[in-house]
Amino acid sequence: MSQLVIENVSKEFGALKVLQSCHLAVEKGQVVTLLGPSGCGKTTLLRSIAGFLQPDDGRILVNGTDISHLPPNRRDVGYVFQNYALFPHLTIRDNIAYGLTIRRRPREEIRRRVDEALSLIALSAFADRFPKQLSGGQQQRVAIARSLVLEPEVLLLDEPFNALDAQLRLSMQIELRKLIDRVGITSIFVTHDQQEAMTLSDRIAIMRGGRIEQLGAPLDIYDRPRTDFVADFIGRANLLPTEVAGGRTRSPQPIATELPDGPATLVARPENIEIVTGDAVGWSGMIGFSTALGPVIEYEIDCGLREPIRAAIPRQAGRAPLEPGTRVTARVRDEAAAVLLPGRGAQGGTAHG
Amino acid sequence: MVDATLMAPRRRRFSLASFLDGGGFWPAVPAVLYLAVFMVAPIVTLLAFGFVTIDRGTVGEGGFTLAHMAGVLSDPLVWRLMWRSFWIAVVSTTLTLVFAYPVAYAYGHLKGIARTLLLVAIISPLLTSALVRTYAWIVVLGGRRGLLNQTLLSLGIVDQPLQLLNTSTAVVIGMTQIHLPFMILPLLAVLSERDRRFEEASLNLGASEVSTFFRVVVPMSMPAIVAGFALVFAVSYTNFIIPQLLGGGNYSTLAVQVYEQTIVVLDWSRGAALATLLLSTCFLFVFAIVALGNCFTRWNEVRR
Amino acid sequence: MSVLRQTSTAGDRVARAGFIALTAFSVLLLVAPSLIVIAISFEPRAYIAFPPSGFSWRWYAAVFQNQQLIDSVWVSLRISVIVMLICLAFGVPAAFASVRGRFVGKAGLNAFLLSPQMMPGMVIGIASLFFGAYIAFRASDLMLVLSLSVFCLPFVVRIVMARLSGLDPLLDEASANLGAGKLTTFRRVTLPQIAPAAFAAAAFTFIEAFDNVTVSLFTSDVRARPLPVELYYLVQFDSSPIIAAISALEIGLSFLVMLVIAKAVGLDRLAR
Repeated sequence: MSQLVIENVSKEFGALKVLQSCHLAVEKGQVVTLLGPSGCGKTTLLRSIAGFLQPDDGRILVNGTDISHLPPNRRDVGYVFQNYALFPHLTIRDNIAYGLTIRRRPREEIRRRVDEALSLIALSAFADRFPKQLSGGQQQRVAIARSLVLEPEVLLLDEPFNALDAQLRLSMQIELRKLIDRVGITSIFVTHDQQEAMTLSDRIAIMRGGRIEQLGAPLDIYDRPRTDFVADFIGRANLLPTEVAGGRTRSPQPIATELPDGPATLVARPENIEIVTGDAVGWSGMIGFSTALGPVIEYEIDCGLREPIRAAIPRQAGRAPLEPGTRVTARVRDEAAAVLLPGRGAQGGTAHG
Repeated sequence: MVDATLMAPRRRRFSLASFLDGGGFWPAVPAVLYLAVFMVAPIVTLLAFGFVTIDRGTVGEGGFTLAHMAGVLSDPLVWRLMWRSFWIAVVSTTLTLVFAYPVAYAYGHLKGIARTLLLVAIISPLLTSALVRTYAWIVVLGGRRGLLNQTLLSLGIVDQPLQLLNTSTAVVIGMTQIHLPFMILPLLAVLSERDRRFEEASLNLGASEVSTFFRVVVPMSMPAIVAGFALVFAVSYTNFIIPQLLGGGNYSTLAVQVYEQTIVVLDWSRGAALATLLLSTCFLFVFAIVALGNCFTRWNEVRR
Repeated sequence: MSVLRQTSTAGDRVARAGFIALTAFSVLLLVAPSLIVIAISFEPRAYIAFPPSGFSWRWYAAVFQNQQLIDSVWVSLRISVIVMLICLAFGVPAAFASVRGRFVGKAGLNAFLLSPQMMPGMVIGIASLFFGAYIAFRASDLMLVLSLSVFCLPFVVRIVMARLSGLDPLLDEASANLGAGKLTTFRRVTLPQIAPAAFAAAAFTFIEAFDNVTVSLFTSDVRARPLPVELYYLVQFDSSPIIAAISALEIGLSFLVMLVIAKAVGLDRLAR
């Protein structure tokens, strides 16, 4: 039995459908990230699990029990806010002890558990300070400890790295993942940052327009996106409109596929595009804008399509980058890695990640 | 070749804009002078008058004397009145707080027309004179024909009309209600702008709404509570109109004494000495309130 | 806030009911006296009764027939307008220095400009009276105007300062970048933005001066009493509903001023 199940949850705000029939099952100890652009409903879904919002439809189950109608103070879930919401008028110790104090635990027990929590986050020396006196990263750890000390079934985190400096982020993400692993708690993150999702999660749920578009392990989603949007949102992708006829695409470089006849979109990541000067089987065009990204050069190749094809070519010592205007052919290097999606996506050719 | 325009001295044209925006002190000079002449000088005169003998509106013989101050400070009536002024101010301010807080809190939860109506109800009293508002209480609390008594008598709750007017009770009730807007507004400003996520966090950690209110909302609004309390206390302590009109002819407080000595008895020296006592004790009490409040708001002052 | 509306413990429900009751009582406490006074003002008989036994405008008519009252209203109007103009003239520039000034002691200037509000009106009144006596100057319209302006100056300074510091300084830079000189920028960018606030400050100052008792009692001319002073004496000697009528008119005036302020800057701005 999954530890957390979100079953057919929907929510409307007036005419706006913020959540539409969301399904999600999370196993014990898993870390799942709800990833999507702003307005996709990810925070709404998180807040519904916490009980700050009542869905119009559907159920939320924890360990098989329906908690959908429980008020937020009777659910066994921890919630870490984006700005941490540490009580400014309480010391760090009192902040962490808050939930235990409410539950009227014996004073000795509270002190022991808070001390344990403080050493878990390595902030024992700050116990008697006020939140104002701590850095952003320290406040985040306190917020997490405040929830963890109550040993909830699930931990919910709302864009916990948003408030931190960019340099700190990656190291803090790794630290946080290690902490979660050590405690072994089922966690659900919300973020719009795809790199954060890739770093933290066992599984990612990509959300758009109130729905979960795809759920899977990070690399699975990366290698096998199931829609244009997902392909575009994770990593960078070339989305090339084409048509399938008799098991092959009718593109300049025909690709074998099992899709039925009809319009289709060919998804090829820039690192899977190779550039050949001179004639070859593929999309012929001209080098346009190029970006030097350090280990890789990304070329835009104008092939007469709505968007240029992007290719990421590793730099080779001694070889100068290709000049704009050079006539080249772009081809998919590993045909097996290319993905074909049925239907002409609404975006038809945008390629940015 | 030297550029001639660089050599010419720049003529600074005076413009209203640069006068006002020039980053200077000058635009404030008229106001400062005005206050210096019409506020500072008078206040100094007031303080000084307590230390000289004023005879028929002019400084009499004798020069500097402590007699008037001593007379005031050694008068047991003065101390009794000061004590009375103090406790009616404390009691009424506390009651004002009790009634003001829910209103300020509720404002944050109202929307649209209800919110506007409430704001109108709060601000309108501030724009009417203290007299009008005190008169309302004279009417309500008045003797046999006072409205409260009329109501109680007709409902059979009492047989005899209650003697409410011309008592300390009337003064406290009047002060409590009349000063409500002064307490509501600072609280309202803070409560309506508060971050609701702290309350969500508290609920998430298992607290009930009641617990959340007393453990999170109220403590976090403590700076505003202290400020409001200090303000309303000062206004109540130095108020002479309400005690005079609701307390009646035989009722007095320190502030009322200041009025009487100055306008009725025309003993300006004594009046000045009493005013000095009133002002200085007021500052002292407010200071004590703020210092006491600081114990509860230390968390707001700390720095990283 | 949907959180509060969900089902919660019985204790919470009881507490919430109690809280709503307390709030309702407090709001009633806030408005009832004024409403009662307005109701009484329509009483046709010569004494106070609630609810009124009928509906009559006689006491309002009595107000307009009372020459002393009418005179005092004129006095108050005259005085208040002058006080308003003085406070604007001195207060608006002072606010500019307080907000945009770059000099040592700005905090001191701020405190000084707002200091009249730190003391009871009575003290300003008595101090002015004494000072006047000292320089052989009697209580009169002039003394009243001067003392009231001192009392009301902080209102203007505070309201205009609040507006000024809320202005985006980048707008001035944009204006300069587009070619406007300092005077033009002031005229076209700064002034229009603070005008509503200055207007609201003026309205507020007017009504505070109009209503003021604590200062006026000491510095007004005995022969030309402003309305609140007139009322002060009337309240102690007359118990007819005429005072209720005047009160109702004053409450009406306060609504008018509130409307003006609301149109200018919005009521909630005043609340800060």
